[in-house]
Amino acid sequence: MQNSIHIKIADFSIKLYSETSIELEEGYLPFVSEDEKGVDDVTIHCFSGIPAIDFQKAELVFEAKNEIQKFYSIFRSDTGLGFIIYNQQTKDEVQQIAFLDETFSQWEVYSNPSSESSRWPLKYPLGPIVMHYLTVKSNSVMIHASCVFDGKKGRIFTGFSGNGKSTISKLWADAGNRIINDDRIIIRKIEDNYVAFNTPMYYIDKPKSTVLNAIFLISHSPENKMKKISGALAVSKVMAFCIQNNFEPKLIQNHLDFLSELSMHIPVYELGFVPDASVVNFILANESGRIK
Amino acid sequence: MDLQKLYALKSKFVVRTVGNELILVPLTGNVAQMNELFTMNETGKFIWENLGEMTTIENIENSLTATFEIDADTAKKDLKIFINKLETLL
Repeated sequence: MQNSIHIKIADFSIKLYSETSIELEEGYLPFVSEDEKGVDDVTIHCFSGIPAIDFQKAELVFEAKNEIQKFYSIFRSDTGLGFIIYNQQTKDEVQQIAFLDETFSQWEVYSNPSSESSRWPLKYPLGPIVMHYLTVKSNSVMIHASCVFDGKKGRIFTGFSGNGKSTISKLWADAGNRIINDDRIIIRKIEDNYVAFNTPMYYIDKPKSTVLNAIFLISHSPENKMKKISGALAVSKVMAFCIQNNFEPKLIQNHLDFLSELSMHIPVYELGFVPDASVVNFILANESGRIK
Repeated sequence: MDLQKLYALKSKFVVRTVGNELILVPLTGNVAQMNELFTMNETGKFIWENLGEMTTIENIENSLTATFEIDADTAKKDLKIFINKLETLL
């Protein structure tokens, strides 16, 4: 156990530190970095114990919740954003209170001592929230997608839950290709390339990445079929699957700008597929020759 | 729906031009509404961009006929399609 931990996710440097011992869940362990040189993209100061804060006077700007439970609420203050993070097991219990400064570079995270988050400050859902705010400040996006590298090209498959992201990545893996991740990908522009990175999951997997060559919007279909789309349609359809908190115009504008440029360089296809091995050869045979 | 209501709606979207089209992303405080994005073609983009606080239906129809070299009936029809589309966003 230690008081300071460095991790690297999508080549972003994140430093967690505390006056007490902190640990990471096993999915984060392969992302621990021994390299402590250079500037951290984000620092996370972790505390045990939740301070008494009256959020009644703050402006509630966003709520992540569904019919069953709350995930987190976001409040705006003079100095940045405040987050109430809810325990996903007990549903309504506050797991953590967190504050993010205006530059999106410094977090203060206060964990409920009775919660596992006191030991694991990046416990879900805070870990993905930290990653999301890393992307919005740094010309990149995080998307619900699977990603596969075939030795030459990197392809992302995105769509609604249940549309086959994991299924299609497994079909590519069965054909001898490498899964980068089957759920959550960060896309960054690095020099002239768009690069897709995996992110820590609940299971152990080492950091992986690939140059991105194509994006597929997937759905199940009685037959394999694909159609290239472009312009506003392509941007809007890809953006719909990006992780975003749409309360701040500037953040939305950043995402729109990034995806507009991306869609001019990376082909976007609508893909209806039969969930069997045939889809791999179908894609290889029907992709545009423009893919590098 | 009157155009003043539509104009008031403009501030609730972030827009981006892609070629001759427009993407509209609604500002929302709820994660469940995040996937509701909209696109507009060249005509819709033109109407959106020319929708001002004092704009009237006649203003827009006249601008459409002048800019796109279409007749008044087509302009009325295009504006109706635009309004119908925006009504679905309310």
